Amino acid sequence: MSDSPKRLTMEELDRLCRRRQAAGLPMAAYAGPLARHVEDGDRRLLKLQYDDSAAALRLWNFLLTEEDRLHAARAAGKKIVGTMKDLGTVPVMAYAAPNLVAFYPDGAWWTPCVMELSEGLFALAQSLGLGDALCPVRAMAGAFVNRAHFPIPDLLTCSVGATCDDFSAVAQRLESLGYPILWWEMPSRRQPDPGEPAVTLPGGFCAPESQVAVVRSELERVRVALADLAGLPLGDEELAAGIREANRVRALLGDLRRMAYTAEPCPMPALEMLIAEMLAIHFCSDRAESVAVLTEMLDEVRSRVDRRAGVLAEGAARLFWVNPVADLRVMNLLEDCGARLCGTEFLFCHALDTIPEDLPPMEALARMALADPMVGPSADRAARIVRDARALGAEAVVVSRIPGASHCAMEGGVIGRIVRQQIGLPVVELEVPPVADPLWPTLKTRLEALVETVLERRLR
Amino acid sequence: MKTVIYSSPFVPAEWLAAHGVRPQRIRPDPAAALPSTSPLTGVCPYARAFIGELLAARGADAAVLATTCDQMRRSAEWLAASGGPPVFLLNVPATWQTPASARMYRDELQRLGRFLVGLGGKTPSREHLAKMIATYDARRAALRGTLGDLSARQASDAIARYDLGKGEPAAPELLRGGSPEPPRSTPVALVGGPLMRGDERVFDLVEQSGGRVVLDGTESGPRTLPAPVDRRRLPDNPLLELMDAYFGAIPDAFRRPDTALYQWLGRELAASAARGIIVWRYVWCDMWAASATRLREATGLPVLDLDVSGDESGLARTAGRIQAFMEVLR
Repeated sequence: MSDSPKRLTMEELDRLCRRRQAAGLPMAAYAGPLARHVEDGDRRLLKLQYDDSAAALRLWNFLLTEEDRLHAARAAGKKIVGTMKDLGTVPVMAYAAPNLVAFYPDGAWWTPCVMELSEGLFALAQSLGLGDALCPVRAMAGAFVNRAHFPIPDLLTCSVGATCDDFSAVAQRLESLGYPILWWEMPSRRQPDPGEPAVTLPGGFCAPESQVAVVRSELERVRVALADLAGLPLGDEELAAGIREANRVRALLGDLRRMAYTAEPCPMPALEMLIAEMLAIHFCSDRAESVAVLTEMLDEVRSRVDRRAGVLAEGAARLFWVNPVADLRVMNLLEDCGARLCGTEFLFCHALDTIPEDLPPMEALARMALADPMVGPSADRAARIVRDARALGAEAVVVSRIPGASHCAMEGGVIGRIVRQQIGLPVVELEVPPVADPLWPTLKTRLEALVETVLERRLR
Repeated sequence: MKTVIYSSPFVPAEWLAAHGVRPQRIRPDPAAALPSTSPLTGVCPYARAFIGELLAARGADAAVLATTCDQMRRSAEWLAASGGPPVFLLNVPATWQTPASARMYRDELQRLGRFLVGLGGKTPSREHLAKMIATYDARRAALRGTLGDLSARQASDAIARYDLGKGEPAAPELLRGGSPEPPRSTPVALVGGPLMRGDERVFDLVEQSGGRVVLDGTESGPRTLPAPVDRRRLPDNPLLELMDAYFGAIPDAFRRPDTALYQWLGRELAASAARGIIVWRYVWCDMWAASATRLREATGLPVLDLDVSGDESGLARTAGRIQAFMEVLR
């Protein structure tokens, strides 16, 4: 909203919001001061720092009003699909039906952070036998029980097999509580054997054709269930249209990421970029509005790049960030330590890649699903991180561990080793709990040390 | 003959043997879990021990790991990157209610077969495979026949010997020799993940605390023995029989849905008259970590959620918790 972009406190952002409202400037119907969400318990918002653009304000409001949209969709007679774990595939299918709305109940893993543990979801999960040995996604079970965060879906799907055990265990517990789940198999992606027919997946991973066929047949079961729920056919034509729309979102995000992660000075803060990337997985329950929100974000970033306006000082250490942070505030912290994001792999890079439009839709979706970085070897994931970090000019890699997650301990080691070996970048592992305040000095020290290392390496 | 090491009950020993290799299902030595073998924090002690054992094993020509848990799935990659023996990762579907999942398991067995051939094994003829399945089925029948006469500790030892391929099951009188059944001891079930070498002392700890294990529902116990095969159908399609015996029958916590596990527990708990359940799970094992409360709800029995770290320093704590649980049940 100003010529020199900067980060604002929530109070400052809300003042700007009210000024825009008073001036009659165009705003989305759901837009308003973030303070109203604090009144609802989202206390972490008070401690975050925000980009000062109208685009970012719209992004935040879009994110924070998702529950309202879901309730409104139900009230309007739409059916709600809770798609669990696959992060980016089933929603593309669901939104191909005009009367279905899909969302990830998994997203509740951020609720304890946003509400600073005041919502009691972990305690509820604990009462169900899901203690802190499991990753924060256990909050999802609490959200199903207290019914205070999202409407209970009309259909629940969950990918299992090559998924994290935490999720599988939590989802199974949900089913035992009376929430039927359509389980669909995701095989562990492997390298094709010599001579075995293989395909290159979106994003560049390779997989045997036979594994794609397994996923395709599993997604067919999902397709039938979605069509039954919708009461409408969900044929190839509808799916192809859904894929085209999903690709619009992905293309916008691709442009946004490329520009935001490469321009100097940094045109958009890390926190807003994290939120923007999340829109890819289920469009925050409104696909068309996702396009509008991302378009405005992209316009803002483009404008800043054109006039060399940055939200951070020039020369910030360029970090490639691996895994989403359980505490959103850590995205602010990295910038406070003199760093910026120059690339990410938030566990759903397959939701950012273009879905092939020149293939039968189910084949294209199966290939996309199998490109999930979580379902294959950590070395695959590391190879993609190496490729992207190199292309985006990263100077260091941060592997952010998720407390209790079954994949993090070994995966972090593999990624770190491969990154060091292949591109010689410094790698730091951090464990970020949902409210990281008690660990703030440690996290800050580690990030500062990493930034110092990067700056020192520039002098060599 | 090449020796192939594995730990998952979903790896059919007779499939390996039919390909001309020696199958050995091991219980890894927790002492093998050196800090250098894998990260300490967040990695299940069993997975660490298995990695350590494989890296140290001189007699292992290859290893087969299964995708039945995330940590073991990733252990395969860790092993391969650490200079261990050749590793095959068997993709065992978590779902089981569709023909597609059974086909996937079959295809994976066939892929495993090609791996074994690459090791120097030989693709078995249908007749040879059927014969091998029948042989193992008969051995397991004999093993099952002895288990009923043994204490839980003895039965566990007998299964461990069988898994290692150490000949025919010993006669019950040879296996006996442990402590006699304590008078008025409290019957409990031990349910959960796999045992490591030396973990059999949990049975002793229960006895020393005034109880006895009347149902071994760990992954290392009778729960995961494959079902008997149908000898009449065996010659026609031995691979199908093998799939049915393993994939079609073994109840486990990783399967989705996990209804077969709870059906098995309901049946066996009732038959055993257990008055309490000890859940045996390793720290960082998510599948069983989520089961304790549910078991309590499903069975109405008191449950001890026993998280074990696999190191000696945790033994006193484990013993203390078992003792307290047995006092509560008394």
